[in-house]
Amino acid sequence: MKARYWIIGILVLLALFIVSGINVIPSLDEKVNASWSQVQNQYQRRMDLIPNLVETVKGYANFEQKTLTDVIQARANATKITLTPEMLSDPQAVKRFEDAQGTLSGALSRLMVVAERYPDLKANQNFLALQSQLEGTENRISIARKDYIATVQEYNTTVRTFPGRIWAWIYGATPKQTFTAAEGAERPPAVKF
Amino acid sequence: MRFQALNQTAHNPRHSGKLAIVVLCVFFFCQTAAALTFPRLTGRVVDDAHILSPQTIQSLDKKLEDYERGTGNQVVVATIPSLQGTDIEDYGYQLGRTWQIGQKGKDNGALLIVAPNERKVRIEVGYGLEPLLTDAVSSTIIQGIIIPAFRQNDMEKGVINGTDAVLSVLGGKGIPGGLIAQPSVSDTVLLLLLFLAFMIFASRHPFLAAWMLSSSSFRIGGRHTGDDGFGGFSGGGGSFGGGGASGSW
Repeated sequence: MKARYWIIGILVLLALFIVSGINVIPSLDEKVNASWSQVQNQYQRRMDLIPNLVETVKGYANFEQKTLTDVIQARANATKITLTPEMLSDPQAVKRFEDAQGTLSGALSRLMVVAERYPDLKANQNFLALQSQLEGTENRISIARKDYIATVQEYNTTVRTFPGRIWAWIYGATPKQTFTAAEGAERPPAVKF
Repeated sequence: MRFQALNQTAHNPRHSGKLAIVVLCVFFFCQTAAALTFPRLTGRVVDDAHILSPQTIQSLDKKLEDYERGTGNQVVVATIPSLQGTDIEDYGYQLGRTWQIGQKGKDNGALLIVAPNERKVRIEVGYGLEPLLTDAVSSTIIQGIIIPAFRQNDMEKGVINGTDAVLSVLGGKGIPGGLIAQPSVSDTVLLLLLFLAFMIFASRHPFLAAWMLSSSSFRIGGRHTGDDGFGGFSGGGGSFGGGGASGSW
């Protein structure tokens, strides 16, 4: 008699455990993927802006060639490095992506600083429009990154702690890489009008 | 709080296992609270920094309400006494998300945020309105319309004209040019020509012309909206991703 109650009790516990947790990791995984694709969209948006920006700046005689080639080079590098959601658990892949985008951020903010020295350029409507778009995009990138970090944190906490740990073991889920906030990489280039 | 709950369960060892699981589950699903505090969404104009007169608040509120009625887009004006040490970009999207301006799924909300003490202004644009109210246009409104008024210490004028410009852009009519520069002779001629062209167009396609007029803001009469004023306004579940532009003066 007593043993039967025990068995029923354990079964109920097991059922509760399954019901409460079976969807947690897959849905968190989807959330991480969605926030990651948002990060990628915003980086892509920035890369799409660059050819126009380069064209506009190029028109200005004796604009520092090195600054321009740095931006073009950094963009070309960043285009080559893609990061699919499956690669988010791979620290090396995430670091490569981060480095490429970080270099591009640096090159772009140098370009914007150098542009300060060209009064004609700063008066150009096209340049002003591109500048505000670039600032907006940097802001979007920083928000998309914050959202991504928040979802990854939630995911990793679940995967590393009880009872999510058991589900992680069942699903074979591993913690995902979060961003290391690189100094200057996530800040919009400080450009004053 | 977590320890308290666990202590309580410890009194009743038979249920402790189950309760502990429940407590842990609740704990895991809890979102970390935002570090910033935001004013309450009391209406379409939240003048927490007290820079607007009651009449201005009322007329702006009415304008924004009419606009939402016509388009479904939610536009809100907020004046903030303190940014609590963060950037207006950081504050802005979180305010928009907290208030959930715009409709869920459409994210068709926009905010005009003024922080007079930090001398910062921002137009925060929801995902759904980004194609119309682009970063570049938002920046032009801020630099060309709002900041010049703020520099003359005319906060009301800046907020009113800025809001009008935002609504005008969202209505597909572009930035009102007269607000940036005095209309020149060529502008008047151009307007006259446009008017003539429209009259010719109207004489050929009267129904199309009537439809165009009725869908624009040149509506005459028949728009009594009742006296609901401030009450009952809330965000529709919209979200924000950092679109828009900022400026300082």
